[in-house]
Amino acid sequence: MLDEQAFIQELLDPKTQNKAFQVLLSSYQKPIYNHIRNIVLNHDDADDVLQNTFIKVFQHLKNFKGESKLFSWLYRIATNEAITFLNAKAKRNGKTSEDFQQKQIENLTADSYFEGDEIQLKLQKAIALLPEKQQLVFKMRYFEEIKYEDLSEILGTSVGALKASYHHAVKKIEEYMTKN
Amino acid sequence: MEPFNLENHPKIKSGFTTPEGYFEQFSEKLLFAIPKEEKPVISIFTRKKKWFMAVAAILILGIMIPFLSKNSSESQSLDSASLENYLAYQTTISPEELVSLLDEKDIEAIETDLNLDDATVESALSGNNYLENYITE
Repeated sequence: MLDEQAFIQELLDPKTQNKAFQVLLSSYQKPIYNHIRNIVLNHDDADDVLQNTFIKVFQHLKNFKGESKLFSWLYRIATNEAITFLNAKAKRNGKTSEDFQQKQIENLTADSYFEGDEIQLKLQKAIALLPEKQQLVFKMRYFEEIKYEDLSEILGTSVGALKASYHHAVKKIEEYMTKN
Repeated sequence: MEPFNLENHPKIKSGFTTPEGYFEQFSEKLLFAIPKEEKPVISIFTRKKKWFMAVAAILILGIMIPFLSKNSSESQSLDSASLENYLAYQTTISPEELVSLLDEKDIEAIETDLNLDDATVESALSGNNYLENYITE
């Protein structure tokens, strides 16, 4: 997107809104879905969160000041929505977020939209044992291959701190994968 | 066992998939879920602001009337000189009518106030062209 401000104006103008929103969706729905799915793990939950994310984007577009990139803003909303959803669902089930996530990992083997082999499942189990921030950094860097500079803008953390977080996450994962 | 090295290992994918045609259906589903045009919410006060202001102005004026009329009545208090002038020049009350309203005490008071000496009376009478008529009568 060459001129983000012009594109945002198209999104806000009722005459061009539909077309612009289609463009927004076709550009971002897949990467944002993958990002959400990596956090919530289950497809149905990811579908709900993706819908909430784009509705929120549409509702708050008029308040978007262009201080950050549209891409970062979308990821930030999606991340917040996914984490809030996960915590609320854990609470409804009377579990801590960590216990709930472990249960979600166990359910992956029966999930028809998870085609992971043994090592993929093992990696998911290893990730689930990490602290929340390290999980997020690892998933966004390893699976989604987002650059550190963009990660810094999305998560509001310095590049140095993100690199340290990723390094710690990799070490713990490697340790788990070696032992199990 | 050889230590596992993530960087040396072939890239491990997340393994997540989606139902067929999910993203195409998602676009359609979302466009229905989003309101076409979000109308800004305008409060009734903003919309009828002029009318509210007009009614408020009328009410304020209505409340102010008793105070305004009280002030105006106070400012109209008359001094005796103005009253005297009015009676002398602006009304049809004749000097005779005014005299008839005076009693002995009033007349004495006037005489005392005026305190006329003979010279003044003489000069006043000598300047009066109708003096002879008065004497004849």
